[in-house]
Amino acid sequence: MSIGELIFLLTIIVTMGGALMAVLSGSVVYALMGLVTAMFGVAGLYVYLDSPFLAMMQILIYVGAVSVLIAFAVMLIGPLYRRPKEWTTAGKFGAALGVALVTLFMFVRFVTETFPRVGKPSFAMTTKEIGRLFFDNLVLPFELISLLIVVAILGAIMLALFSRGNK
Amino acid sequence: MEQIVNMIGRETLKTIVGLIGVLVFVVFNALILTWAERKVAGHMQRRIGPKEVGPYGLIQPIADAIKLLGKEILTPREVDRPLYYLAPILIFVPVLVSFIVIPFDASLQVKDINVGILVILAFSSLSVFSILMAGWGSNNKYALIGAIRSVAQNIAYEIPLLLALLPVIMMANSFSLKTIVEAQKGLWFVVYQPLAFCIYFISAVAETNRTPFDLPEAESELVAGYHTEYSGMRFALFFLAEYTNIFIVSAIAVTFFLGGYQGPFLPGIIWFLLKSYLLVFVIIWLRWTYPRVRFDQLLNVSWKALIPLAFINLLITGGLLKL
Repeated sequence: MSIGELIFLLTIIVTMGGALMAVLSGSVVYALMGLVTAMFGVAGLYVYLDSPFLAMMQILIYVGAVSVLIAFAVMLIGPLYRRPKEWTTAGKFGAALGVALVTLFMFVRFVTETFPRVGKPSFAMTTKEIGRLFFDNLVLPFELISLLIVVAILGAIMLALFSRGNK
Repeated sequence: MEQIVNMIGRETLKTIVGLIGVLVFVVFNALILTWAERKVAGHMQRRIGPKEVGPYGLIQPIADAIKLLGKEILTPREVDRPLYYLAPILIFVPVLVSFIVIPFDASLQVKDINVGILVILAFSSLSVFSILMAGWGSNNKYALIGAIRSVAQNIAYEIPLLLALLPVIMMANSFSLKTIVEAQKGLWFVVYQPLAFCIYFISAVAETNRTPFDLPEAESELVAGYHTEYSGMRFALFFLAEYTNIFIVSAIAVTFFLGGYQGPFLPGIIWFLLKSYLLVFVIIWLRWTYPRVRFDQLLNVSWKALIPLAFINLLITGGLLKL
């Protein structure tokens, strides 16, 4: 096994371990730490795939922004927080069904798809290529995502104002 | 010697030596800064500051370090152990990673990564997490309040910080710190971007949790904030990270706005350290001149003043670059 493969394996283990911790941990804070670990693992995979820009963006956005916001919300609950109520049978069944469907879909996709082999992507061009794609071929999805985020922000503001008025 | 070099590989050896150099520098920098802080504070208040241990009190920080090493490391009974132990170690990761990409001289850099500044900014978010872990793990209300404040502050000031660096990245056309320094051969970017420099500097002081923005560790209300329950060497690690962070934000300011290692006559590293420590001095100066701001003032300055200004600055820069 070469060093590259060993690092790849370690990244996989870190990602999976973090993800499992996020799902299985009883405490919210540990679940969050697991999530952060998993995000780092995914960033490691991007580095392995020669996309350092994407890896840094992964850390900057998912660890630096998303997880910090989640952490902020958790902190406001306070240290008195205890584990939530047990799942209902219907909830368990629904969750299992959802996971099964997603797994099935991915499996079918994985079996039917033939993955094209690409050459080694160029290291220096990544940011330029990503920028060009965003404002050229993918400009419509990009703008649609922006619109979605604006709607989400407006919704959050509405919720905050609404609950304040009710008090 | 040649054999060893060939066996490990030149690039790997360079990285290892660089990392050792970084560790030595981190400790040395903290020693100097603790001394400088007390000395500057003394003179600001018409005192002399430390003077008994060594000439001008220069050996004082070493005495302090030995004292901290000798202290008992207490672990309160009710702490959340894994988080409590991990926090002071984790706070060092972003600090060490940042040093890897900072160019001290034209050839004195552990590794030139083409997304250099993103590495620093991405990993700096980890320090928020270690503060959170420390605050939560301590199981102490003062520590928790300090941690919550720290997160709110970090979210608010990370945005203007990024937006202030962006115009420079656009002008230099690169994320690599070395390329950015090389792009300032003629004129420093502070001349083109005075507003961005001011926004960056204010945000940087807030990011390092220094007075007038030191609400996460406000002594008069929160005992010591997130590191209330830490003693001995664990406390020293937080302390070390804070002083290293002060140097790092100054070094980034120098790299982005003040021409990095470029300057006449003297070698590059001297210029770099000279400019960096000048900014560090300004940060210490601010601490001993201004009182702490209120929390609503702190957030208002960022969201209502710095962020809109940074956006306007970014728009103007983008427009002028395309003309």
